[in-house]
Amino acid sequence: MLSTASCGFGSLALAGLIGRSAEGAGSPSLAARTPVIPARAKRVLFLCMSGGPAQMDTFDHKPQTGKAPHPGSAYRFFQHGESGLKISELLPETAKHADKLCVLNGMYCDTGIHAQSFLQLHTGDRLRARPSLGAWVNYGLGTENQSLPGFISLNSSKPSCHGSAFLPAIYQGTPIGVNGEDMSKATIPNVMSDHLTPESKRRQLDFIQSMNREHHARSGDDPKLEAVIQSMELGFRMQTTAPGLLDLSQEPKHVLERYRVGAKYAVGTCRESDFGRQCLLARRFLEAGVRFVEVNHGSWDQHKNHRRDLEANCLATDAPIAALLQDLEERGMLEDTLVIWGGEFGRPGITPGEKDKDMTGHNSNGFTFWLAGGGVKPGFTYGATDPTGARAVDGKIHFRDLHATILHLLGIPPNDLTYRYAGRDHRLTGPEGGRVVTDIIA
Amino acid sequence: MNSLRFAFLSAVLLPGWIGVAHAEITPEQRKYFETKIRPVLAKECYECHSAGAKKVGGKLLLDTTAGLKRGGESGSPMVPGKPEDSLLVHALKWLDDLEMPPENPLPANVIADFEKWIAMGAPVPPDVEQAVVKGGVTEPKKYKPGELWSFQPVKDPPVPESKSEWARSAIDQFAFRKMAEKNLEPASDAPPKTLVRRLYFDLIGLPPTFAESNAFVADYGKRGQAAVAALVDELLASPHFGERWGRHWLDVARYAESNGNDGLSRNASFPNAWRYRDYVIDALNRDVPYDRFIAEQIAGDLLEAETDQERDRQLVATGFLALGAKPAKAMNNNFEMDIVADQIEVVTSGIIGLSVGCARCHDHKFDPIPTRDYYAMAGFFTSSETLYGIAANEKLTAPPTPLHVLKTPPKVPAPPEALKLMEETEKLEMRNYPRPKEEHTYPPGTPVAMGVRDRKEPADCKINLKGDAQKPGEVVPRGVLTAYPDKTLGELTIDPSGSGRRELAKWLTDKKHPQTSRVMVNRIWLHLFGKAIVGTPDDFGVYGEKPTHPELLDHLAARFSGDHDWSIKSMIHEIVLSRTYQLDSHASPESIAADPENIWVSRHTRRRLDAESIRDAILKVTGNLNPEPADGSPIRHLDILVNRAPDLHQPSNHRSIYLCFMRNSPPRELAAFDLPDGLTVTGKRDETMLPTQGLFLLNSPFIKNQADYLARSSGDNVREMWRRVLNREPSQTELAGARYLLENTEPEERAWPVLAQALLATNEFRYVD
Repeated sequence: MLSTASCGFGSLALAGLIGRSAEGAGSPSLAARTPVIPARAKRVLFLCMSGGPAQMDTFDHKPQTGKAPHPGSAYRFFQHGESGLKISELLPETAKHADKLCVLNGMYCDTGIHAQSFLQLHTGDRLRARPSLGAWVNYGLGTENQSLPGFISLNSSKPSCHGSAFLPAIYQGTPIGVNGEDMSKATIPNVMSDHLTPESKRRQLDFIQSMNREHHARSGDDPKLEAVIQSMELGFRMQTTAPGLLDLSQEPKHVLERYRVGAKYAVGTCRESDFGRQCLLARRFLEAGVRFVEVNHGSWDQHKNHRRDLEANCLATDAPIAALLQDLEERGMLEDTLVIWGGEFGRPGITPGEKDKDMTGHNSNGFTFWLAGGGVKPGFTYGATDPTGARAVDGKIHFRDLHATILHLLGIPPNDLTYRYAGRDHRLTGPEGGRVVTDIIA
Repeated sequence: MNSLRFAFLSAVLLPGWIGVAHAEITPEQRKYFETKIRPVLAKECYECHSAGAKKVGGKLLLDTTAGLKRGGESGSPMVPGKPEDSLLVHALKWLDDLEMPPENPLPANVIADFEKWIAMGAPVPPDVEQAVVKGGVTEPKKYKPGELWSFQPVKDPPVPESKSEWARSAIDQFAFRKMAEKNLEPASDAPPKTLVRRLYFDLIGLPPTFAESNAFVADYGKRGQAAVAALVDELLASPHFGERWGRHWLDVARYAESNGNDGLSRNASFPNAWRYRDYVIDALNRDVPYDRFIAEQIAGDLLEAETDQERDRQLVATGFLALGAKPAKAMNNNFEMDIVADQIEVVTSGIIGLSVGCARCHDHKFDPIPTRDYYAMAGFFTSSETLYGIAANEKLTAPPTPLHVLKTPPKVPAPPEALKLMEETEKLEMRNYPRPKEEHTYPPGTPVAMGVRDRKEPADCKINLKGDAQKPGEVVPRGVLTAYPDKTLGELTIDPSGSGRRELAKWLTDKKHPQTSRVMVNRIWLHLFGKAIVGTPDDFGVYGEKPTHPELLDHLAARFSGDHDWSIKSMIHEIVLSRTYQLDSHASPESIAADPENIWVSRHTRRRLDAESIRDAILKVTGNLNPEPADGSPIRHLDILVNRAPDLHQPSNHRSIYLCFMRNSPPRELAAFDLPDGLTVTGKRDETMLPTQGLFLLNSPFIKNQADYLARSSGDNVREMWRRVLNREPSQTELAGARYLLENTEPEERAWPVLAQALLATNEFRYVD
């Protein structure tokens, strides 16, 4: 059983949160908690590919069958590594890490509407504001570095995707760059100031917080006000750690190059996201003990100009992801870091023979995710779509099953981690519950 | 390939049912059809190929025996016994232009079932009728016109009469009945000190001074509700009212002063957008009736005007339709229709709370909005010319357009610095575009505005198949949504010589329109209670939330368009004088536990101030607020790519609504506190609690600067500071704490500002009870 240091902020066993109402169960805290079942992963890196990546041109090889042309892979696939995993020619760098990947080709979800499916991928619910995956993980496990948020989302699209909804706000994701902000500069604003000595700063905050606690007590114990007190405390602590982590100037040139930091790839739907910088920052946050880091690149929603825009999206993300996988492995972190790659759905794909046709739509009935590290089978393919890639037919995994599997790998019984709100117990996996996909666990 | 084409032709030309038309169907065949074929037809095809479809695709009906046998305009879909020659199989396999179903191809095993069925002669039972679907396949519930609550006419429900003494007004009666149903007791009335602060922030977005707060408390002690009414009148008459409520409308109008990232990383400024901002503030202050307010924004250019000033005002109002974010023109065949999409969205989502956008590509899956309706509405806007200017002379972003030339505002020529900045930025960009054409430029200083005007030759719009402008379908006469129950709204007759926007405005602001008044009173309620009756203020459709208090909503809507004659100020007046509005935010732990989200408004919802109010309140208490409206915008002379220019924000001590709201470059003094992105209608802002907000309050240059002011303006006096910031005297404990902080701060000269900043950073200052 994995146990984590409590950093002196008061340790709270995850067991305390399992199977009973957590509302009002003591003060919400980021203190690291001990998983209740054996954990295979300690932290999560979510490579979120928004817009719906075309599975048949990346990881789900669909050659033409029979006489009549049908939707399928429009690019060549090659086998890689000892596992012989087939990966598209568009991802040569990622392909070098084929033996680390656990490719899930039988993904499916409920809707082909972007916003709703994106929300469901992040929160389990496609309509209402619900806590996001990263918030649930922090609620369950806390985080290892009390001077950083336990959940950081880079290039986030909107608060509902990194929010904590009814979970205490301390578990909310801290965004770095939102709404298409220039990701080559995005940072945590106001995280540095030397207008006071550190001692004076602390005394000032102590004064503010004593006023806030008074106010909180006068205001009938409003959990919202308690959350603000905690989040201000966290902001204060971030001053000591975050500036150093955000500063890439000490990274050697070859590392910056390997990650393609600063490279620009804006073509059609592929927007500039400085994905390399995002990935390098993500590595640094994970190393520093952040529990859940999400990076974002989009949009993979290439309805028109499928080939051109897909190539750009692959180019923008391929080398940075490979660099990240390499670094995590070299640091011995891959074994307990669960890496997740995927988007809100997939695409029906184009029919390769039809040169002039370059359009695709959305496909929520069958698409691909891959996982790596964190206790999943390496160099492994699981699940399948039918010969045209239209529908998952084998090894089907719904988002709620993916969520359940992620929590399970982190040592959290997925359907038992609940939070009581508005009179009933809520969980990430929803009323149906999620199924842990044990077949993919090493 | 040739032989295949030939096979097609035969399929089209040959009567498909020769030989089997009267054949008996065996029980096995019937079972096969009912289990393998019909459920798939129902699930995948009936949406477009059944009697119930909004528009029948290719005149092909697959839901009756006759339809299946007759086929559609492409002929019979099946060649019995010859699946390889059957159009249906080709379509299902996506072999040719005809790809069915259009979104997702069917699984191969299902297609194989169809091939097998056709191979056995494509037997159809003689009695197939639509609707009854066996085999457990159900269609998603699709609402029929009039079924959805928000399409029902607004009723003016009778006011419940409770025996309780508690209720003071009709609003209270409606609210109280719900509380009683839920076994909730109303909280006590808010103390006057709480109430005065709430009213100030809710109505003008600024805190009262210590003296104003005390004066109200004293008056309330003497006169009770008469004191409240007097204060409300005073605040509604304040020019700050328009600055507060104008901002709420700008959120709906997705207002911004630049285009935002066009997808090619170019963000062109909108140097004249501020005129629309000023129009909105002015309209709210003058309490322009809401129906008129809407009409001016949609068709101001077409309305009568008695004076030049009136005419100018109405032209500026149409900026509402021109301010949207546009995706780059470069390599975008749909550019014009993308602008139209934004216009339809802001009109429908903003005014009638319906998201019509889905219908651009397909009939709305759940709301009763067919694609036809979308293009009927599109016709209003394709018949209008959108005037947004030269988009920073960046042709890849948008082709240049003229602007409205105004007659009455003063001429303000660009200062030389502005011209120099533009030139330098262009050089940096190394662009070598020719200067804009004469028809798109105006003599220096000419007052111009964004907006719309009618095209010389208005015309109905063609359906864009799958939303692609390159695939025009049939022409749809200009018109509005068809989903309203009969006789709700009168017939719309559109004068063919104009765009029809005037008629559109008339339709939207018809007193009988079931959504317009409901949507607006719901927005007003949201801003006063922090919680809307319909939790999704921009979506009254199937996927939106249902009203928590449907009768109260209708009562308010009927009052708004009826007795109040669309007066926003009167509506606000009525609501804030209700006892429900004046409840305390403190409540018993039991009632909080029973209704944590305060859905049943048995107490007032405690709220964080929004970004603008935080900054404005800080400026006001430090004595540094310039209460006058700002003149124009820092970018009024800068037609420039924002992302390539140096920082365009300028220091300002005017109210926050006058800061430069560029997309993807929000004012730094506000950005930490959940600003809308200006891309879509945002009726309700997020309220996050992030550590970055704490960092803003602890470290931002703005707050440090204002703390210096506060220390100075309070004359280094602790009591004065408390009175200014918190409207109260410090407690003994607080005095001791303040003294300790003052004595232990390094550097020493920062001591008073540090205390001042600490007060500005408290939750008590940032939250309203």
